[in-house]
Amino acid sequence: MSQTYKFVPGIFLGFLLFLVACSDKTEIIDPPPAYTPTPYELEIPYAFPTKLNIPEDNPLTVEGVELGRYLFYDGRLSGRTHPDSLMSCSSCHIQENNFEPGVDHPVFEGGFVHGLSGQQTHHVVLPLVNLVWNSSGYGWNGSFYNNNENPNQRQIEDIVTLSVIAPDEMHGDTNRVKALFQSLDGYPELFYKAFGSDQITFKNMARAIAQFVRTLVSADAKIDRYLRGEEQLTQSELNGFILFTTEEGADCFHCHGGFGNPLFTTHLFYNNGKDTIFNDPLDRFAVTGDPMHKGAYKAPTLRNISLSGPYMHDGRFATLDEVIDFYSHEVKWSDQVDPLMHHVLRGGVQLTPSEKADVKAFIATLHDEKFLNNPAYGRPEKFPDQD
Amino acid sequence: MANVVFCNPSHRNLNCLFKTQSKLPVLLYNLRQLCYLCGRQILNHFKTNTMNKLMPVISVLLLFAFGSCQKSNTTEESFGETAFQISHLIDNEELTTDALIYTNAAGNRYMVTEIQWFITNVKLIAEDGTEYLVKNKDDESVFYVDTDIPESMTINTGQQFPAGEYAGVKFTFGFNKAENQSHRFVNPPESYMFWPTYLGGGYHYMKLNGKWINQQGKTEPFNFHLGIGQEYYDENKTNEVLYNFGRSDSYEHCPGYQPPSVLPPVMGFIHNYFTVELNHPFTIKQDQTALLELLMHIEQWFKAKRIYDHDVWGGAIMQQQDAMEIGIQNGPMVFELRNGK
Repeated sequence: MSQTYKFVPGIFLGFLLFLVACSDKTEIIDPPPAYTPTPYELEIPYAFPTKLNIPEDNPLTVEGVELGRYLFYDGRLSGRTHPDSLMSCSSCHIQENNFEPGVDHPVFEGGFVHGLSGQQTHHVVLPLVNLVWNSSGYGWNGSFYNNNENPNQRQIEDIVTLSVIAPDEMHGDTNRVKALFQSLDGYPELFYKAFGSDQITFKNMARAIAQFVRTLVSADAKIDRYLRGEEQLTQSELNGFILFTTEEGADCFHCHGGFGNPLFTTHLFYNNGKDTIFNDPLDRFAVTGDPMHKGAYKAPTLRNISLSGPYMHDGRFATLDEVIDFYSHEVKWSDQVDPLMHHVLRGGVQLTPSEKADVKAFIATLHDEKFLNNPAYGRPEKFPDQD
Repeated sequence: MANVVFCNPSHRNLNCLFKTQSKLPVLLYNLRQLCYLCGRQILNHFKTNTMNKLMPVISVLLLFAFGSCQKSNTTEESFGETAFQISHLIDNEELTTDALIYTNAAGNRYMVTEIQWFITNVKLIAEDGTEYLVKNKDDESVFYVDTDIPESMTINTGQQFPAGEYAGVKFTFGFNKAENQSHRFVNPPESYMFWPTYLGGGYHYMKLNGKWINQQGKTEPFNFHLGIGQEYYDENKTNEVLYNFGRSDSYEHCPGYQPPSVLPPVMGFIHNYFTVELNHPFTIKQDQTALLELLMHIEQWFKAKRIYDHDVWGGAIMQQQDAMEIGIQNGPMVFELRNGK
């Protein structure tokens, strides 16, 4: 008897193992993985701000960013599956074009984009670069800002929502989009991992995309390596840097940064003397109500600016050369022109051809190939429902 | 026992009953005495029944009093706070931005759009000459003031200063040489004040932006920016330096001015910071906040000691040391300290 009893625990354990093995095979008992999102550590590049614009209710997580990347690139974000009706953030925000459409876009001629309804956007596309450091308002007129009384116009999350709905963009319906993604294999599981629920809400879709957008960091251009003391600029680039950061030169730095502000923008709004009559219903004046802000728009970052055409809020300049010519000779006086445009009565900063070449050479040092080719920012090889 | 003050009708405040650094037994003795004496007085006024009910309450109150006495006995000094409200005035009136309603001493009609500046090494000067550094939450005496950011117009750190009489305040306008280091601020809005490396690096001490009506009757922008000045190599005069970039000895460069096509090299830098001393007595009372008003009289930048004429200096002066020099000579007289409201 005693000999037999010795085997009982072993038999019992074996039976348990058998059960577990069976359950694996039959997939009867498969508890959901624990909801333990991994914090996403955003590295602060040299001399970059340490303060990040991340809403408290949407911290960066590895899972959220991964999901956001899928959604950013998934054309079904339009809420439609027909090949002609696919549209996502990446339709206009193309990585190799600095997350802009690019002037040579096959559909959006000259870089002017239109939505699924055919309607063109009011302003041209702004790049998605280093936005986690923008606390001054998103968009050309900064109408999405942190302490906006309208809680639906504050953050990147809100811009995502607007982009899905707006006729000049995806022209979709958030409920339909949500339902579509709920039906796609793999997505509910990713939502569970990112937000603790496999019941997809559009709010969580917007949150995930916003998380991904906040990780798009450009900080390894030649100018960054120069600022870190790792690489020297050429003589022409150095001349351009001096012109860029001197009032008697090209005078760019007050709005577009430099050594002390490697974002190469203040993210603030200026009337830079393009016009004398201001009737755009979506200028900075539309946000602040201050008549002195008529005709004022965001100074965009100059990182990868050579890819960011067409230039200015309305895309009036196709090339960087045209922009440099404008700041040199074509600046126009108005009551609203920003005081920082102190060359206005001379029509601009009066750069000579060689100075223009130097400024352009310097601006080229803001070109960040690593950003434009970073696989973490690129299109996923396949989407969660694809084998 | 000799230094112990007993219950005395002349003492208005119970906290004053024990003024000395008594030892605990002495205090306990005094408490007993106090209870006894007070108890007798109260007994004279109340019937025994009432007293029985009140006695626990009174005991607790007395214990609290005893506790507070102990505290004040272990701390010799008392403390209070200061709060600075910063105001920008023109001709003694609160600044109205973007209003072309002012005329400076040179006769320029002008307006001011914004003022952004740094005040550092702020010190309260006690009557005995002791200086107390006012520090921000990062434990540095650096404060950024911006007319576009209302909360930047108040300096109230919650810092404790000895209560007593003070003779005034002094501070550095901008940054001294040691403290004016590039990248010390990486976050906006302070980082937006960076001063280009080629021009000396560090930070703008001040950006005072506006417009004036020039000799042609046109409204022209001016950027009265102060920071590190430069000495430029003068190609035409060996061994001499130019203090104003792109400018000959003549000051008539505004109409039709063309900047030179070649940038002359910078030979050296001039740190333009200055110290402001404001003699204005004020009192910091125990556990109270002394409200002070720090005023910038904007028109004084253009006249306090030397007249500054926008028609002479044009729109931008970061590369014109002679223009900045006028600013730093006038600067110490630009500020005023008053009692706050």
